Amino acid sequence: MKERLKELEKAAFEDLKKVKDASSLEEFRIRYLGKKGLISSVMKGIGKLPAEQRPEIGRLANELREKITKEYEGLKKRIQKQEKEKVFIDITLPGRSIPRGHFHPISTVINEVCDIFVKMGFRIVTGPEVELDYYNFEALNIPKDHPARDMQDTFYITDNLLLRTHTSPIQVRVMEAQKPPVAIICPGKVYRRDSDVSHTPMFHQVEGLLVDKGVSFGDLKGVLTLFVHKMFGADTKLRFRPSFFPFTEPSAEVDIQCVICKGKGCRTCSFTGWLEILGSGMVDPAVYKFVGYDEDEYSGFAFGMGIERIAMLKYGIEDIQLFYKNEIRFLRQF
Amino acid sequence: MKLVFSWLKEFVDIDIEPERLAELLTLKGLEVSDCYPVGKGLDKIIAGRIVDIKRHPKSDRLYVCDVDTGASLIPVVCSAPNLKKDMITALALPGTRLPNGMEIKEVEIRGVKSKGVLLAEDELGLTDDHSGIIELSSNIAPGTSLTEALSVEDWVLDIELTPNRGDCASVLGIAREVSAITGTPLKMPSIEYKELDEEADQVSSVIINEPEKCRRYSAGIIKDVNIRSSPFWMRYRLYLADIRAINNIVDITNYVMLELGQPLHAFDMDRLKGPKIIVRCAKEGEEFTTLDGVTHKLFPEVLLICDAERAVALAGIMGGLNSEIEEDTKNVFLEAAFFDPVTIRRGAKLLGISTEASYRFERGVDIEAVTVALRRAISLMYKLADGKPLKGIIDNYPIPYRPFSITMSVKKANRFLGTSLSKEKIKGYLSALKMEVKDIDEDKIGVIPPSFRMDISREADLFEEIARLDGYENIPVTLPYIRPSEQEEAQELRFEQDIRNIMVGMGFTEIITYSFISPEFRNSIGIPGNFVTIINPLTKDQSVMRTSLVPGVLEAIKTNISYNEYNLRLFEIGKVFIKRGEEELPEERSFLCAGVTGLWDIKSWYGRERKADFYDVKGAVETLLRSISSKPFSFEKKDAPSWYEQGEYASVCVDSYVLGHIGKVSSDVLKRLDIEQDVYLLELDLVGLSRYFVEPRRFKAYSRFPAVYRDISIIVKKEVESRRIEQIIKRIGGDILEAVHLFDLYEGGKLASDEKAFGFRIWFRSMKGTLEKKEVDKIYDEIIKTIIDETGGRLREA
Repeated sequence: MKERLKELEKAAFEDLKKVKDASSLEEFRIRYLGKKGLISSVMKGIGKLPAEQRPEIGRLANELREKITKEYEGLKKRIQKQEKEKVFIDITLPGRSIPRGHFHPISTVINEVCDIFVKMGFRIVTGPEVELDYYNFEALNIPKDHPARDMQDTFYITDNLLLRTHTSPIQVRVMEAQKPPVAIICPGKVYRRDSDVSHTPMFHQVEGLLVDKGVSFGDLKGVLTLFVHKMFGADTKLRFRPSFFPFTEPSAEVDIQCVICKGKGCRTCSFTGWLEILGSGMVDPAVYKFVGYDEDEYSGFAFGMGIERIAMLKYGIEDIQLFYKNEIRFLRQF
Repeated sequence: MKLVFSWLKEFVDIDIEPERLAELLTLKGLEVSDCYPVGKGLDKIIAGRIVDIKRHPKSDRLYVCDVDTGASLIPVVCSAPNLKKDMITALALPGTRLPNGMEIKEVEIRGVKSKGVLLAEDELGLTDDHSGIIELSSNIAPGTSLTEALSVEDWVLDIELTPNRGDCASVLGIAREVSAITGTPLKMPSIEYKELDEEADQVSSVIINEPEKCRRYSAGIIKDVNIRSSPFWMRYRLYLADIRAINNIVDITNYVMLELGQPLHAFDMDRLKGPKIIVRCAKEGEEFTTLDGVTHKLFPEVLLICDAERAVALAGIMGGLNSEIEEDTKNVFLEAAFFDPVTIRRGAKLLGISTEASYRFERGVDIEAVTVALRRAISLMYKLADGKPLKGIIDNYPIPYRPFSITMSVKKANRFLGTSLSKEKIKGYLSALKMEVKDIDEDKIGVIPPSFRMDISREADLFEEIARLDGYENIPVTLPYIRPSEQEEAQELRFEQDIRNIMVGMGFTEIITYSFISPEFRNSIGIPGNFVTIINPLTKDQSVMRTSLVPGVLEAIKTNISYNEYNLRLFEIGKVFIKRGEEELPEERSFLCAGVTGLWDIKSWYGRERKADFYDVKGAVETLLRSISSKPFSFEKKDAPSWYEQGEYASVCVDSYVLGHIGKVSSDVLKRLDIEQDVYLLELDLVGLSRYFVEPRRFKAYSRFPAVYRDISIIVKKEVESRRIEQIIKRIGGDILEAVHLFDLYEGGKLASDEKAFGFRIWFRSMKGTLEKKEVDKIYDEIIKTIIDETGGRLREA
């Protein structure tokens, strides 16, 4: 019996060497370790042995089973690993992607600009695109027959109705409707009778207004500096210089250091190193008169910016006309 | 406005470079958009003296001159009409490059050697004059470089004046600013001339009928002038300032206008009828021919300068052809006046004329300095035109200027600006701007602005001046406390952004088209309605405000197809404009419009290509609406708007409202637009949706018990809509019906040609407990029976 176990062991290890894959491994298991396998049949034969041999043969047979099982398990792991490694998928095939749409870059930039101001506590307000002369000009201290009207060439519907030339009329509408504090940001389409390489007859502006007790020109500088830093990066240099808008006094133009050449001078900034991006100023007392605010009690500032200009700087677009051609090859890039 | 640097330096000492000055002015509110050197590249060109002039042996037009170069005598062939013996002129020798890039070579002209070129002002890049070669001062030695001989090297600063700073529209105005900024004193030009004994106001007088519109009219009379071309220095400066030289008298009026900001007009006095000048308004329909030869029909708003018989000038705008200075003019009547800015602007606008004079009058000239400019011009006419001025001037000044004082609080100024400037510092700034400043009390000061600062009348105006002179860069940066507001946000923008996000998520690309469209495009699509029309459009193509986004979307599709982009999913969110009353604001309503064309699925390694159709836009609407609200909506067959194909159209309905459309664009419209592939549209009224469809989401408890399903396959007539069967299933299913899903639609095969088969999977689940088979089977059988009864259908055999 001992010899038989020895032979069995020898044969098992020989067979084990021949195992190459999962199926031959399974055959091996059934042959040696299965319920009707060779080791089981030896075990079954133990009962027929003389009583004194039984314990020893039983022990040897168990040992052999454990030994083979151990080898079998080891080999099984190796083969399973091999089998898994054999599975091949071409990971370079294109995935079943879901077609992606694209936001118009103007929408994206409007959202970015508004978000910055909303976080500072401004609230978003809108107004009509077809406006009354009164709101677009008169109440903004731009009377008829004033040279300031030349600053904006206007599309008219009638003598009194026009396409708003800026988002500023919203200021007046809001101030008419409520008392301070007013902290609003007003995005929207505006229209000017102007079309050439650098102008489109329709474009977008975002206007802002803050009126409360004790608002100073220093606050205007603070809010707009913060905006520029959030929009163009904290290391963007900016400067404020005197300008003129009929509805602000003092007025300030805000220039940022050219984002293209970093102030060294290039085509985009006309070799000045600076880019004009914002018009601003302290609300003119004349405007308070129109809306019935007491100029001794309240002060505030307003600002406005062209979204196309900011988008052009942000994305490096040189031709403003591209925004309104609606070519998918343009839009797909955003 | 072009400002000549050397001219400015005659008014104020400047010890900084022009570029640095440009930067300084920009930071003080006078934006210098350009700053460039002029008169460069003349150092190689020399003065030459014409020693002898002979006719060219073979030409009637040409002359051969012997020119003294300072070193030798050379022959130069020339055709200039103003050649004179002993004339000093500009000479370029072979090898010299002219400012325009041309290189001079020794040449032979019809057999005569020419070893150089005599030059006109335009060839030197100095002015546009080509009437003859330049004539230099006779005391310039031959051989002197032209740079030295002419002192033409200069700089020009192009300043963009804001409309409030009319006082800066002159050399003097800018000099005043420079003086205030740098603290350097201002210098005024000399005014010196000898007068005749005869007195001007004895010879002529001025009657002002409209004293509000003409607040001052002064005039001088200059006799026996000699009309000729102005000296080079004057023409050069006019040229640099973009003003065409005419003759010495006209040039002087322009020169003084550029210098002092006061427009002047010179009349040929002998062509004026009668001794009087009358300032009056035009009569309706009156005609007048300006000196450019254009005849204008006038309006009563236009102010006129008239002699005893007729109009001779459009006041403040342009002189008349009937009295302009001509070659043979002897006596000059010179006008300097103050016209009301609004009157001039209204007149200029009505007549469609804009001149250097009207530009300045519209912005306001210095009423107190009107006669200063007049005398300055007289002195120049005395000097440069041999004129003999009559004694004194005529000065009709019916409403004299009244200085006024503004009370300003120093504390308020500092609070307003966020600064802490001392009273003394503030007074210093204001004084530097030629304002009279007086203390009122501890805090307040009284400020009298000068007559030329028409933009200053209030405290806030003074605050700006203080901030400007102190420097915006010196104002400390602070952050305000922004008080939270209870006022409402613009919800519609948030809603539009939600829609935008969903559309982009579904693979649509956002476009933005112009709000104005072409009336023809509108007609070709057949959009009805009352349009808001622009009375002064840029082009007819952009002359009506859209009442629908469809034209823009179709246009964008067409554009892209023309660039070989055939598979498109585009959308736009924007307002449409619906006309109400004539003088009423139109209704503005936000819409979503999407267009789909070409393939929805392109061919790939895992799937076949599929053209977009009705169910793609329908699916988009379903996903979109389900994303924003759980309120029910439906698609109904209704009359389609004209741009849809009636058979492939549905209205999108919520309650009883039609809130949108989906469907196929009619082949007629596509044909008219030259689009050769099917296009499907989706339109939604966003205002309607937010009003009638969006409602707050509420949580509904759901069952914890298992669900079971049953499948039904049923054959019905083709015209039976799937919704009908679905409704029966829902009705009979009652409480325990959880969901119905149409998993199959089958036509053809063993079915009759007017039949189709639907496959539905029906899910049941109860809130109360696990469903028993009996219970489900009973309802299932009932459903089948009802469907068969109500639709005439039959079960499809497995």
